[in-house]
Amino acid sequence: MTSFRHAAVLGFVLIAAGLSVFLFKTISLGYPLASDATATVWDFEIFLEFEGRDEPARLEVYLPAGDVERTFPQEQFYNGPFGLSLATETETRNRKAVWTYRYPSNRKVLRYNAQTIGETASTPLPDSFTRAAPKIMPFEADPIKRQAFIVWTGDLRRRSADERSFADLTLRETFEARDVGEEYADEVAVLLEDKAGVIGRLELARQTLQSAGVPARIANGVYLTEARRRVETKHWLEYHLDGEDFRYFPDGAPARFFTIWYGASDLVAASGIDELDLQIALQAQRNAAIDIVRQSGGQPARLDRVFGFSELPLTTQLVYKVLVTIPVGITILVFLRQFIGFKTLGTFMPVLIGIAFRETALINGLLLFTTLIALGLALRFYLERLQLLLVPRLAVVVIFIVMLMAGITITLTGANQAIGLSISLFPIVILTMTIERMSIVWEETSAGEAIKQGFGSLAIASIAYLAMTNNQVEYLMYQFPELLFVLMGLCVLMGRYTGLRLSELWRFRQLVE
Amino acid sequence: MLETFRTLRREGVIGINERNVRYVNALNPRKLLVRVDDKLLTKQLADRAMIPNPALYGVIANARDMKKLPEMINHPDGFVVKPAQGSQGKGIIVVESPLKHGWRLASGRRIALDDIKFQINNVISGMYSLGGQPDKALIEYRVKFDDVFGKISFKGVPDIRVIVLKGIPVFAMLRLPTAESDGKANLHKGGVGVGIDIATGLTMNAMQHDRIVDVHPDTAHPLENIQAPYWDEILLMAARSYEVTGLGYIGVDIVLDQERGPLLLELNARPGISIQIANRKGLRFLLEKASKLASEKLTAHERIAIAKTLQATGAAQSEAVVGAAA
Repeated sequence: MTSFRHAAVLGFVLIAAGLSVFLFKTISLGYPLASDATATVWDFEIFLEFEGRDEPARLEVYLPAGDVERTFPQEQFYNGPFGLSLATETETRNRKAVWTYRYPSNRKVLRYNAQTIGETASTPLPDSFTRAAPKIMPFEADPIKRQAFIVWTGDLRRRSADERSFADLTLRETFEARDVGEEYADEVAVLLEDKAGVIGRLELARQTLQSAGVPARIANGVYLTEARRRVETKHWLEYHLDGEDFRYFPDGAPARFFTIWYGASDLVAASGIDELDLQIALQAQRNAAIDIVRQSGGQPARLDRVFGFSELPLTTQLVYKVLVTIPVGITILVFLRQFIGFKTLGTFMPVLIGIAFRETALINGLLLFTTLIALGLALRFYLERLQLLLVPRLAVVVIFIVMLMAGITITLTGANQAIGLSISLFPIVILTMTIERMSIVWEETSAGEAIKQGFGSLAIASIAYLAMTNNQVEYLMYQFPELLFVLMGLCVLMGRYTGLRLSELWRFRQLVE
Repeated sequence: MLETFRTLRREGVIGINERNVRYVNALNPRKLLVRVDDKLLTKQLADRAMIPNPALYGVIANARDMKKLPEMINHPDGFVVKPAQGSQGKGIIVVESPLKHGWRLASGRRIALDDIKFQINNVISGMYSLGGQPDKALIEYRVKFDDVFGKISFKGVPDIRVIVLKGIPVFAMLRLPTAESDGKANLHKGGVGVGIDIATGLTMNAMQHDRIVDVHPDTAHPLENIQAPYWDEILLMAARSYEVTGLGYIGVDIVLDQERGPLLLELNARPGISIQIANRKGLRFLLEKASKLASEKLTAHERIAIAKTLQATGAAQSEAVVGAAA
């Protein structure tokens, strides 16, 4: 059976192709699977207010660098009269905004705005960190400090078992033990001198790790914990040891944070101005997770342009939102017919009825459909006596259906019944066809068969309607159109099913004995 | 449920899916279907192959043909009006004998010439054809059915359905009208199906509404062990229908006429699968064997010989299979 193998191969290839794109998008690109998945987007703003001194002014401000892991859709600059240039430091990859103005006077405001979802502890450090760093001995110029450093690190090395405990000890001695006078090494006091702030301590820890060949850097940024007008900048140490990334947060580790710049320098370097007021503001917004993935640029955006609907006009998008769910209904119908043995009027009529239910909702739709079909059938049987030809007979049924629908709508509106009967052109055609097919079955086979097929059709229509209007189904089909290949493959495979249907087990029950 | 599924599978019972994929779609080329859908064409092909069928008195395709109608229906034994592309007996009028003013229908009612003309006009305009396409009306010989099955049929005409795979008759069934089926032999209308042994032409088990019965529901006459007359002729007609149509899987419907013997009534390219219940046997093993043995070189007589031996071995084998499973 070569055609059987051919169909099987085609089916599985289609399913595999669809699924692999789907899995790539969900696993590698982070498309969320749940339709209601949301993520918090943080509105991040640097706000600078200052007094011009009427002399050339220059403000250098670090800006968050846009890299792949935490790219942001749009950033905005409010420059006022200032000139803006952007620079990138080669060594640290820090990005810098340089605002300049020749003679600013009175109060000036500069702003920078971006959206981000931030980073977490699992955000990887850059690749350069995985290579062993050169061992750099600090304090080359200062013999006293140099001596103290050698004594202290030698002591640390003796008390540690490996690189990791060495790093742990280093950080503990630079930060935590300082209040307990006895354990606090004199050498550390010498090394820290007066700059005992967090940055000074982090810098010492960084130098110590670097001297042992551990790549490390100071990172500065904000914690994404609450929306605030004035957010403190925080500092932490990032280093890479034994193939693992570490972050040491002196102020306690946040769930999410946002790095602005690296190194020990200040956020703003200004000259020619007075009364600088620096504010960093955070504002939280909940967005659909899918939009965030989309807007973050890079691969998802490119993929969507080719395989997605997001570039289409909005009205067309809405049409496709409905259209892509129809194959789901059709696949369900195929299954119910080929495997269960549902009897239906017409081939795809039940799915079309299911689509028509979109405009009436399920219960109303079922009531409306059964009523109209019953009345239409009655008319159809009356017309049978007149022995009309096929086309005029169909026309009479269509006109009758239109009259009935108009009657129902007017009555219900008059009775102030707001049950949302939105009637459109589409269901009329479907109703007429259903009545015609049902009456044919009624005459050619039997009334029982016609009713059986009618109920089968309505049952499948209801199931298809529930599936097609399900939010999750709609979301999956619309965001992952590649699933159409999976459905197609399933239908190809079902098309070669030659086994018995569930209903045939009942039909042939007497052969079982 | 799974057990039922396995048992039916073991017994070789095929479902609609298997019939469609393996037999109807695989063996009946679409472009040849017109040979069974158009009854006029079927008749012409059957005549050429010497398969007896009800004599054609005339064909009415338009108003001009209608003028010849009185001439065509001038037969003392009555006649039948049939749409060439009708299905399931729709649009058929059976006229029994002439009356003084008009004709007597099989049901006993009187019908005037104008009523017959109206009915024929309906047929021509496509009222009974698939998709409402213009059709032709056939006027043919009215079958006076043989009395052998008189005791086990209620009104209407019983017929014999033979399933033919690539020219080899594999299954046969006698279809009997009942009061419920309103004189029609169609099984889904409530007709009774009685399995017939291909080798001997003797009736076996019977079914109605997919359930096994022993006696006719209206006449209460036992249905088993009745010899179908002209059995070898019937098999020959069924086997020859393959050459006529070129279709590899057909149901051949044959009626028995008092005077003319078995006549080919119509051919069906999608024969139903209820025949398995009437025969108390699955179709698969026989179909597969017949498919292997069939060859273009075999004559109709040779194919019938194969059919008869197949029946014996096939039964033995399916019993052996069931025995082994139990």
